[in-house]
Amino acid sequence: MTEALQEDGLVLGGLTKVLGGRVIIDNLHLVVKKGEMVSLLGPSGCGKTTTLRMIAGFLIPDKGDILLNGKDVTTLGPEKRPSAMVFQNYALWPHMTVFNNVAYPLKVRKLSKPEIEKRVHEALNLVNLMHHKDSRPSQISGGEQQRVALARALVQEPDILLLDEPLSNLDAKLRVKVREDIRDLQRRLGITTVIVTHDQDEALSISDRIAVMNAGKIEQFSTPQELYDRPETEYVANFIGSLNHLQGGYNDGQIIAGSEVVGIRPEDVIFTKGQVPGSYSATVELVVPRGHFSEVYLKRADAELRAFISSDIPAVGTTGYARISKALIYQDGKLVRVA
Amino acid sequence: MASEKTDVVAESLLVKTTPRLSALGFFMALPPMLLVICFVGLPILIAFTFSLGFTTGPNRVVSIIGQEIHKKDHWWGTFGAYKDVFHDSRFPGDLRTTLLVTFMATVLVLIMALGIGIYQRMIGGRLAGVMTTLTLVPLFVPVVIASWAIHTFYAGDGFMRTLFSHFGINFPTLTSTVSAIIIGTIWTSLPFAILMVTSGLQSIPDALIETAQDAGAGFFRIIRTVLVPLAITPIVIAGTFTAIGIMGSFTIPLFLGPNQPTMLGVEIANFFGAYNRPQQSIVMAFVVFAAASGIALVYIWANVRSAKQSGRI
Amino acid sequence: MARREKTRSKSSSPVIKVFLLIMMIALAFFILGPLLWLGIHAFVSNWTYPNLYPDGWTFHWWTQVFADSALADAIRNSLIISPIVVIASMIICLPAAYAAGRLHYAGRKTFLIGMFAANSFPKIGLFASIATLYYALNLMGTVVGVIIIQLLGTIIYMTWIPAAAFAAVPRNLEEAARDAGASKFKVFRSITLRLAMPGILVAIVMSFLASFDEAQGTYLVGAPAVFTMPTEMYSLVQNYPIQVAAVFSLLLALPSVLLISLARKHIVGGQLAEGFQIK
Repeated sequence: MTEALQEDGLVLGGLTKVLGGRVIIDNLHLVVKKGEMVSLLGPSGCGKTTTLRMIAGFLIPDKGDILLNGKDVTTLGPEKRPSAMVFQNYALWPHMTVFNNVAYPLKVRKLSKPEIEKRVHEALNLVNLMHHKDSRPSQISGGEQQRVALARALVQEPDILLLDEPLSNLDAKLRVKVREDIRDLQRRLGITTVIVTHDQDEALSISDRIAVMNAGKIEQFSTPQELYDRPETEYVANFIGSLNHLQGGYNDGQIIAGSEVVGIRPEDVIFTKGQVPGSYSATVELVVPRGHFSEVYLKRADAELRAFISSDIPAVGTTGYARISKALIYQDGKLVRVA
Repeated sequence: MASEKTDVVAESLLVKTTPRLSALGFFMALPPMLLVICFVGLPILIAFTFSLGFTTGPNRVVSIIGQEIHKKDHWWGTFGAYKDVFHDSRFPGDLRTTLLVTFMATVLVLIMALGIGIYQRMIGGRLAGVMTTLTLVPLFVPVVIASWAIHTFYAGDGFMRTLFSHFGINFPTLTSTVSAIIIGTIWTSLPFAILMVTSGLQSIPDALIETAQDAGAGFFRIIRTVLVPLAITPIVIAGTFTAIGIMGSFTIPLFLGPNQPTMLGVEIANFFGAYNRPQQSIVMAFVVFAAASGIALVYIWANVRSAKQSGRI
Repeated sequence: MARREKTRSKSSSPVIKVFLLIMMIALAFFILGPLLWLGIHAFVSNWTYPNLYPDGWTFHWWTQVFADSALADAIRNSLIISPIVVIASMIICLPAAYAAGRLHYAGRKTFLIGMFAANSFPKIGLFASIATLYYALNLMGTVVGVIIIQLLGTIIYMTWIPAAAFAAVPRNLEEAARDAGASKFKVFRSITLRLAMPGILVAIVMSFLASFDEAQGTYLVGAPAVFTMPTEMYSLVQNYPIQVAAVFSLLLALPSVLLISLARKHIVGGQLAEGFQIK
């Protein structure tokens, strides 16, 4: 701790990485507060994994700094960093038992045998896997393997926990459970965590803040709610949640001619039988059931709109009125106003 | 979680209990099995009876041609030929040479293969690629040529002595020594070992190594606790194949070794041909076979172990 | 995500680089030295120890080799016998390899291990044992006898490597082809065989080399009636000057070099290594 910064947590300052002649990460800035859980969210190839690997030390950035709790770790190898990573495929060593997998980082640190045993047991209890401590990774299920990998990371008591698509290999039901487990554990331990994911549901439900990445840059970094309510760029608006994407202008609840882009969340389109202020007549063209709500395609004079309706689903051909309660207006990809 | 596991079990059961076309499979496998039974199993069996002094039937011709044939004096035969061999003053030296060469060469081959394999896996780059390609060259070269080339290279008027004499160093003549046999066997065994070991190391996923790095392990610790244990099956296979091949080798010790003591492979040929003592020759073959079987057991153990580990059994 | 950036966070220090370079040169010297030394002798009139340069250059030894009928016979024999051995080996072993790789018949594992056990009996001892059988069957000194001997050396390659290659063909690819309306035979020919081809190719090359280079057994059962190139080498090195052996060596190495360069990609690509693990 030579140059103690006031900022605890993780600071990425102007990271740039070129791989194979391509700029993968382009002057990226990010500050993760201590104890915070942050998602790097983006499609394949946006550079989120590369960023995580630079934080872990598997890649050295071409430019920029990485500070961890005020200490510069930019050029340290992964073995010297106080970070622990959980890999996408868990990367459990098949030739070691669950216990030995978790004990490995402690053995490397040359802790005493009883100390190792104590801490491994604590870690395994934390993830509810004590009963599997003598099993081999091939003998336990995917979800359990995931938890072993998590225990192996936590046993190191890292300053920062890095998760690379930790849920992508689990089936849908298990995914929801495990992500809640991870969130719960992270809160209890108060450990600074960066998680890479391409799944917006996962990011929205698990993170304190989300960094939406696009082409090596962070498009927006804010809380899930803010991201949803006020997506700063058209890209973010499209990536998070659903959007009616209309070319033109917006005035008084109507789409007019114009050079802007109007984004309307389907849940902000309200369909009523009778006319209310701001609503205009609309016909139901198509209804697609989506489980607990239905996706309803409405045709209005000014535009075609998609709406999410959860009760009193209208039949196809019904005529009624549709009102836009909120619109996001973008010019050149940037949010200019919310109406 | 539970359902996931039962699925896996059910799937493996499904595969195991499919006796599809098993009869057809058996018949398809028959030709090479018959060939091996007729020309490997049967001769070995007949030779075994011959070594015990059964001199009639298929052993009649060779018993007439050969000298110092022991005929059976009990219902089970005789140990006459075995006694001959074990009491032969040259046998202990030959056996020792055989085991020494096998051990030394196998160890050295494995060290080289591991060194190059790990270098390629952990550091890589063009130099590593060139190195691997280089070690495959012996695969191109028939053993007879290799032996002869090495013979001339380390001979009294060979390149090594020629080169070193210009620096005023008297390089030893290695040809016709046990060292030359070891050099020759390493030379010819290297490609197979390299192929096995490098492919074993290359198939280890990056993530397994990176996790160890992340956990704080250094270079040598990763080699010891992750790379070698994960590639142990191909390493053992490489070792056992190499050892078995070396143990029965003939051409290399013939061209490169001393007259006495030499490896049992040469001695088997000598006793069979030059000395015309076929029974004693066969006895030696069984001595080598016994040693090779021990090594073969290690090989089978390694295969079973890897099958268990990956959950196939 | 599938991007595989090799992690080379540690750039090796100059000391390690120099060490590796020295190792590399030593290895090159160890492996190539003997071959070059022998190869040069094929074009050398005489080489007086301890001169660094030969006394003179000549093609004389090449004409001598081609003029010698015994040597020419050996070359011809080798070029006839080896292809026969490979084809016979394919006919005998490939169906078995398919069975071992694809079908679950009783004793499949026993089969693979049996093939291996057969390989672990010392060759020279086996040949001595076979000789007694050959006397009884009148195969001593015949081409058929030599072919059988060489065949034995190819079995392990021709069963194991293709077996692994067949086993590695994903079943759903075959099922997709069946689903698309292809007949069983057509699926085998157009999918299974095609995908297993690299493995079979490696097996063919290795078998050819095993047969072409086989010396001990061929010598034991073939001599003095049937000589191939490698067995000719045995008498050659005793009865001719080193230069003739050098010429002969170059000729003998030629097919290997050609064949292996053809299949190099697959051999290095792991087909060979894959074939030697019992699954």
